[in-house]
Amino acid sequence: MSDSVMKEASKTVGVINTGAGNLYSLNGCLRRMGFYPVTINQPSDLERYDISALVIPGQGRFRTVMTNLKACALDEVITNWYRDNKKMVGICIGLQIMFEESEEDPGVSGLGLLQGKVTRLQSPKQPMVGWSDVQSSEDWLNNQTLYFVNSYGVSASDKSIATVTYGQTFVAAIASNNTIAFQCHPEKSGVAGEEVLKQCLS
Amino acid sequence: MSELINSIEQGLKSRVIVCLDVAHGRVVKGINFKGLKDMGDPVELAVRYQEQGADEIVFLDIKATLEQRANALEVVTRVAENLSIPFTVGGGLNTYADVAQFLNAGADKVALNSAAVKHPDLIDQIAKGFGSQCVVVAVDLNQGQSQKQDQNKPLSDYQVFINGGNTPTDLDAMQWLAQVEQRGAGEVLLTAMHRDGTGLGFDNELMSKVSEQLGIQVIASGGACKPEHFTETFLAGSDAALAAGIFHRGEFTVGQVKDELLRNGVAVRNEYLKD
Repeated sequence: MSDSVMKEASKTVGVINTGAGNLYSLNGCLRRMGFYPVTINQPSDLERYDISALVIPGQGRFRTVMTNLKACALDEVITNWYRDNKKMVGICIGLQIMFEESEEDPGVSGLGLLQGKVTRLQSPKQPMVGWSDVQSSEDWLNNQTLYFVNSYGVSASDKSIATVTYGQTFVAAIASNNTIAFQCHPEKSGVAGEEVLKQCLS
Repeated sequence: MSELINSIEQGLKSRVIVCLDVAHGRVVKGINFKGLKDMGDPVELAVRYQEQGADEIVFLDIKATLEQRANALEVVTRVAENLSIPFTVGGGLNTYADVAQFLNAGADKVALNSAAVKHPDLIDQIAKGFGSQCVVVAVDLNQGQSQKQDQNKPLSDYQVFINGGNTPTDLDAMQWLAQVEQRGAGEVLLTAMHRDGTGLGFDNELMSKVSEQLGIQVIASGGACKPEHFTETFLAGSDAALAAGIFHRGEFTVGQVKDELLRNGVAVRNEYLKD
């Protein structure tokens, strides 16, 4: 392999197939940023590519996503990737499943990588749909205007790196090990969203 | 002014949404109901409005007839791959299978109008299958047409129309809007037909009443021809405002509308100001 090919290969991002929505927007966003998205359908797919980071896409409800992940042993893929301190980004439901459980589907266990519970948000209008400024101690994230679509969220976490307020204040992003996860949708958040994702994946 | 302060405290930006009419895979504009003028490629136009500062794009009348279906779905996928803001498709989606096809092709949301009136269960089904955030119900209202005015009923002087505004229904406007919410719609796109094309501005009395009554967001539509109209409707309580002609005719850019909103203290996404 020449140096240039090696460099290209390190731009490969594995997108976990949660079986709960299309990946066109996310893949399009990753390509615009210069990454090569590949879909991860099963654990052995990890060996087929030289993957620099994993992304858990943001569509679907708690039960559907957890059921589909377990059916393909992708829950273990995520957990191992997290424990191995490898680079990973979660979006919306991709953040929520990292916690222990959710009021969206009581009785369904999340991955439990993070302590806490996803709860129904006390927002003025539900679902929350639209753009909001996030507050963060991280310069690259602070005051970015990002797109949120959710009725559920995490009200507080010791891994929180950003919050947002719509009626109540809740977690907009977490960072733990080498994982960063967002309650919002950076892939739907214009230039600001792409800059935020680039920061996480580069 | 209290509504404005309220909306800022709530934390969501007021959204400016651009509506594009699509037929045969192209953006079109009707000319005096006689013909359609080709305005360009849907992806190129959507990206142009995104760069101007649009917060969302709505593609309507995507001519989802069977012959056109493959074509329309291909356009939706291309839009999804190229746009970095949310987009909605609507017009001609009649069944759950129709909706599933367009969501799977990459649309973030679908807008239902006549189909929701004819088969209200469709709203519940899509909300359950894909989530409320995917369902926008479009309601076309016309004022002063109703025969059953009642002082005690809100919106009794408004009538719900379907089939592209051609067919009046017997529905009570406020009851229908409440039902739409209760069945699981995530947003309502409220078009004041009596304002459409008039340039008189949005029907803010209507928007205000509905926004106050509903627990879901209200997208105002119909009548905008200058930036001030957007300020007025956000001050009245609309969560988002949709327009077509004002932008397509080149009279104002989305950025100019947002400049005006910012001058008046309305919180909007201002990425268009950055280079």
